[in-house]
Amino acid sequence: MLRIDIPERSNWKALAHELGFHFHTIDGEPYWKEDAYYQFTMEQVERDIEAPTEAVHEMCMELVDKVCHSNALMQRLALPEHMWDSIHHSWKSGQPHLYGRMDFAYSGDGPAKLLELNYDTPTSLYEAGFFQWVWLEQAISQGILPRHADQYNSIQERLINAMAHLGDRIENRTLYFSCIKDNPEERATVHYLQDVAVQAGLKAPFIYTEDIGLQTGAEHFVDLDDLPIHALFKLYPWEEMADDAFGEHIPQLNTHWFEPPWKAILSNKGILPLLWEHFEGHPNLLPAFFEDANSPPLPAGWVRKPFFSREGSNVELVTPAGHREAVGGPYTDSPWIRQAYHPMPRFGNNHALIGSWVVGDRACGMGIREDVGRITKDSSCFVPHAIV
Amino acid sequence: MSKHDQTPHLPRRKRSGRLTLAMMGASAFGLTACGQPPQEEQITEIEFDEPKSFQSVEDCVAENVYTRSACEDAYEASLEEVPRFSTLEECEAEHGEGACTAPTEEQAQAATGNSGGSWFMPAMMGYMVGSMMSNTNRGRSFERVYQEPVYRNRQNQGNWNTATNQATQRITQRNDAMRNSVATSQRRGFGSRSSARGGWGS
Repeated sequence: MLRIDIPERSNWKALAHELGFHFHTIDGEPYWKEDAYYQFTMEQVERDIEAPTEAVHEMCMELVDKVCHSNALMQRLALPEHMWDSIHHSWKSGQPHLYGRMDFAYSGDGPAKLLELNYDTPTSLYEAGFFQWVWLEQAISQGILPRHADQYNSIQERLINAMAHLGDRIENRTLYFSCIKDNPEERATVHYLQDVAVQAGLKAPFIYTEDIGLQTGAEHFVDLDDLPIHALFKLYPWEEMADDAFGEHIPQLNTHWFEPPWKAILSNKGILPLLWEHFEGHPNLLPAFFEDANSPPLPAGWVRKPFFSREGSNVELVTPAGHREAVGGPYTDSPWIRQAYHPMPRFGNNHALIGSWVVGDRACGMGIREDVGRITKDSSCFVPHAIV
Repeated sequence: MSKHDQTPHLPRRKRSGRLTLAMMGASAFGLTACGQPPQEEQITEIEFDEPKSFQSVEDCVAENVYTRSACEDAYEASLEEVPRFSTLEECEAEHGEGACTAPTEEQAQAATGNSGGSWFMPAMMGYMVGSMMSNTNRGRSFERVYQEPVYRNRQNQGNWNTATNQATQRITQRNDAMRNSVATSQRRGFGSRSSARGGWGS
């Protein structure tokens, strides 16, 4: 794994605009960067990223099954009691899921270490699945990369297959897509997923999360025309859904959700200590524990994360050398876990994080984010990769 | 490099051969709404104000709440709603002895456009008028008048207060039914809380 400086494609900003990638620059700061790329060998990709991703995914599925059959574990993960039946039912009835992303610390040497799972509302999907692919094709044709260069990326192809599969199972092949208002990046990600759904032969109407309607006597949540929503993709986390005003109606209504309720188990950082408990010593796992009232102040070599947090918020770490780093945020009302610190590789000033994608149940691609800090945040840049 | 360790005639590729976007390009970006059927306008909410009772159209006009034509229209409409019977006996069996009458010429004119009616009805004592506001899912509001006849029957024996109370009860029942028949959806039950950075992706 190397970070190699290369020329940018001359036309990439115009192209990005043309392809709907309007958030390549966020608040004046670059988000997409292509003045360098991360170089991997095929062996690194297949042995160190792809295979472990599938292995960890299997372990996760095993744990979901355990948690679904244990009220004690549901409680331990701070899942609200009124959701237990929905979670259990969605798992028992085999409700399919679409996608997830694992974040690994990996330096090119030794096993990749799982830092966390983003299995409910993962983003950076368009960048990884589509724009990165376009970059590789063009970089080859413009002579920036050698002809034999490749990329670990069948994300979009897998998404289309997974959507087609979902389409066969949902009413009128219609899957609504939703995200909250006033967030152009998330709207673009959902727009991309709608695009994928259309390519898979689905009807893919959009509704803002805030506009989802509840109608007395209806069996489904309803759209703005008060028509039933049989199936809905939401870029909005389960822990928030459950606490929202309509949360208590979720178990009573027949609307199918993507991701399904059982994903609440995996989008929760409490899954990390459970993974360690059940698969202690697995080379791709880091030691992790639930924090309790008796836990001492965070010792050197440990990271502290809230159960529910996004984009690095409220994460605190102390390196083995005693260097402390923390990101503030609003996620202070859930329990915490502690995870052994594992350094991300450093290239110049940048720490690189591997986002490894799972679509359906298959590992199928990756995207790299880098940040000058040791905690990856929403402002961390996306840098493409190639197998050379 | 490991890639070259593989069987040379079967080049392995880790990326998809061909990707495209169906609708996300520049020309299609932002056009999602066009792909959706136009929103049908529907009434989503109805509000009723307190009805007022009047013994005559002139009474209504004098109150200075409704225009003369609104008072007249409401009178005609409430007259339409008074139960009708083809014989006096049938009417009295239902509404009590002495409660019924044939329509006056004026009433027959108002109800049918012709003078002279061939029906019997409980004697009309007056009518009630109120206004209702309908709001639609497109954010528009419509106001219109509703009405109810006040007529004599066995229970009220021609007592004005009792008769208007009965009319008010009929109005309440009907308005409740109308309110319940409207597709009242609640919104903003999801996504009302804001996140750390105004988004939920991770």
